[in-house]
Amino acid sequence: MLVRYVIVVASTPHWSVLRHMVKLEKIEYKPIPVRDLLVEIKDLSELMIDLAYSAALFDSKELAEEVLELEERVDTLAYLLNMNIMIAVRDAQDAELLIAASAVASAADKISDAAADIATIVIKNIGIHPIVRQAFEKVEEHLIRVKMSPTSILVGTLLDELELAARIGVDIIAIRRNKEWIINPKETEKLEKDDILIARGAPHGIDELKKLAEGAIRKLED
Amino acid sequence: MAKRKEQFKVIVDKLAELKDTSELMIDLAYSSLLLNNRHLAEEVQALEERMDDLHTKFEQLVLSSGFKPEESKDFLGLIRLGVATEQIADAGAEIAEVVLRGLKPHRILKLVIEEAEETVVRVQVSPNSPLVGKTLRQAQIHEETGLWILAIRRGSVWLRPKPSTTIEQNDILITSGYAEGEEDLEKLASPKE
Repeated sequence: MLVRYVIVVASTPHWSVLRHMVKLEKIEYKPIPVRDLLVEIKDLSELMIDLAYSAALFDSKELAEEVLELEERVDTLAYLLNMNIMIAVRDAQDAELLIAASAVASAADKISDAAADIATIVIKNIGIHPIVRQAFEKVEEHLIRVKMSPTSILVGTLLDELELAARIGVDIIAIRRNKEWIINPKETEKLEKDDILIARGAPHGIDELKKLAEGAIRKLED
Repeated sequence: MAKRKEQFKVIVDKLAELKDTSELMIDLAYSSLLLNNRHLAEEVQALEERMDDLHTKFEQLVLSSGFKPEESKDFLGLIRLGVATEQIADAGAEIAEVVLRGLKPHRILKLVIEEAEETVVRVQVSPNSPLVGKTLRQAQIHEETGLWILAIRRGSVWLRPKPSTTIEQNDILITSGYAEGEEDLEKLASPKE
């Protein structure tokens, strides 16, 4: 049986000394194509680096928490990938082909671990000198996390219609919908209320998107 | 005070270099994998050595900066960020290693990237090229040639392309895309008089 350790925060005061307890979660085999799993692991790990640096530079615990959640997801996907590889191998040739996929997934998993380490710096308040923040802010495009308010004019619109890149110089690089992550969303993706948007762009555009998503601005300029 | 500020600038610059180099390595490593290109994979390995040196220098700079006890947390944050960039770089090297070992994961990945005819094109920018002095945003290379810039090599330095990066003469542009774009890129980068 395959088991995995998950850290959960105990809720009763009695356990407050033992802030973390270990819970076992079983990951069940699901037939998913190896390439789909590999691509998702790769995309998530790259997104995690961006999110983690942004979390560090803007001292954002919210972004840092997203990174840690993604880390869990990458771990799960890595297990599923290895299980699918084990089942797919029929001969030596398959083994040679698939060991490469396994090696790449393991490297991507390492990247996600590094991103989680960066996020932990933020969560544990270890801190990064303010000067570092200033230095990075100059070169980095800004990245934000914003939750879609039900009253936002963006609810129900397709990314295609919004043309955010052309209008305000902002790209939505990921959407989190409950537990599901949509990385590099397609033009045909429809925004829903309570979506968490991760977007990148110039500071001014980012600010505008935040206001639009939170419902503070009700009109998108042309 | 001024001296301290200067010292800090050096540390921050070094960290920025670590971060950029590690991310460039990941970009190049995945490209080497998708395109099954050994040259790119070898560059990643070379960058990994550079990374090790950079990281050591960075740590030495941080440790010798004479920080006050109350600043130690901030400096610990710096050290840990440095370690994370090093881990990311290691992962990049591992991905490149798969290519150098002659394993063929691109057969799995190719099915996902539709551009199965993709290749790596490398050109040097001659002094008379209209690209000289333009930023990547202005240069519109993808629009003109269909090729994407993976990296820019300037002397011994590798740059990760950003929209604001300015192209200089003698830069080597490493691009990927359809082979058909090569001729167009050649014309742009080194036009005949």
